[in-house]
Amino acid sequence: MMLSFLNDLFQQDFMLRALMAGIILGALAPTIGSIVVVRRLSFIADTLGHFSLVGISVSLYLSTLGISIFFEKPLYLGILFSVVGGLLIELFRRSYKNYKEISMVIVISLGSALSAIFFSLAKKTGSLYNYLFGSILTVTDYYLVLILITALLVLILFVLFGKQILSVSFDETTGRFLGINVSLFQIVFMIVLSVVVSVLLESAGVLLISSMMIIPVAAGMRVGWSYKSTLVIAIVFSELSIFFGLWMAYSFVIPSGAAIVSVNVIILLVVALIKRIVLKRNISKLDKLKK
Amino acid sequence: MQIDIRNLSFAYGHRTVINGLSHTINPGDYLVIQGKNGTGKSTLIKCLLGINSVKSGMIFLDGQDSTVFKHWTRFGYVSQDFDNFNYEFPLTVEELLGFSTITKKSEKNYLKLLDQMGILDIINQNINSLSGGQLQRVFIVRAMLNDPDVLVLDEPTASIDKQNTEFFYQTINRLNEQGKTIILITHTDSLENMNYTHVLNMSIDLTTEILRRVEVKGVNSL
Repeated sequence: MMLSFLNDLFQQDFMLRALMAGIILGALAPTIGSIVVVRRLSFIADTLGHFSLVGISVSLYLSTLGISIFFEKPLYLGILFSVVGGLLIELFRRSYKNYKEISMVIVISLGSALSAIFFSLAKKTGSLYNYLFGSILTVTDYYLVLILITALLVLILFVLFGKQILSVSFDETTGRFLGINVSLFQIVFMIVLSVVVSVLLESAGVLLISSMMIIPVAAGMRVGWSYKSTLVIAIVFSELSIFFGLWMAYSFVIPSGAAIVSVNVIILLVVALIKRIVLKRNISKLDKLKK
Repeated sequence: MQIDIRNLSFAYGHRTVINGLSHTINPGDYLVIQGKNGTGKSTLIKCLLGINSVKSGMIFLDGQDSTVFKHWTRFGYVSQDFDNFNYEFPLTVEELLGFSTITKKSEKNYLKLLDQMGILDIINQNINSLSGGQLQRVFIVRAMLNDPDVLVLDEPTASIDKQNTEFFYQTINRLNEQGKTIILITHTDSLENMNYTHVLNMSIDLTTEILRRVEVKGVNSL
């Protein structure tokens, strides 16, 4: 089964595209996800995904009225709305400083409501399934270039401003005493996150984006001893889940996003279990030494 | 840096915690702010550092209104129980200090400060695994990276044992002798180990009392 999968992986164009998209996504999602986890905003990708969906539904609605916007590529209006959603979260977050999750509930509710309205007006509720669950197996060359550019932008951002982004994420209050314009970096990160979320929408789907960002990081945190090691481990877990997820999707004819996320969760559970066993052994060894 | 607090008042909603406080902190001063919980000690320094916005009264930092002040790297701040910091995510001391070195000045200071604080050997440790005293010193190193004029410490010994508390105050006394202005909040520690110059007592009834060292009873004056 695995052999025929590997054979098709390199011979079928769509499989090769899916693999390449997956490799980029596998590194991009946990990189951004690690910052999201540090900032304790794990639900943010879900929220932004829902708001991005508003852009997509509005774009579809406008096309039914004969208005073409962004060359009939709904994703671009999705990106724009995701950024608006991100800025709204940042705005509400400042009003409810100690209740960060309130800002996300407001934006996710508004996003769900508006996208339901516009999908219905566009009479395209059927296409909603694709946006909710995505499919990495159907990505086009055009999309591949788009996520490659997004990944490069994120890489450049981290090389230039990684220190500032990490500082502000770990500790908002102290940033200004280190010489950082805290508000600026919060907004810059929110814009980048919004763009990444909407770009991932097509391959991962609204409902699965945040799991691709967060679960590998959650598993990495169980075994990482530093930020860098945690991130590298998270990326390895993420790439493994994409590879085996694609294999599962191919072999059992199931949705690719769902398969990838399932593998992610299995890795998390296995890592947590192994860690627990190792810890117990160490404790019993220590007890024996004490006796 | 000279810090002028003029007729400062602050309230959370209808609950006033600071009422018409005025005081000048001169360069090299070592001010200890004392008072029970809820007397506005942390609120006062948060106003001073621009974390809380001042609505009544004024604070001047080297003659400049604090609401338009930009040179915050002249302050080093260690918050209470590091409560602003997310230290559950795996992170080594080196990584924390590495990404806190934003200015050129801080890059030069980084290893020297770790050595001065006696924690060069824990540079590769995960901050989760550090004791309260070690963590405290790491955060002081971070606050000192830009060689600030003023070091502001909110309940710095809350998670340190008695022996380390003495060592901690020796370190702070030394920094003050080197010319740093120290502003330190405590609600438990005795003044015995501190080479303070002034004490600000804050009470729950909103009265404040500022004493110079010679005026503080029970401690040998300078």
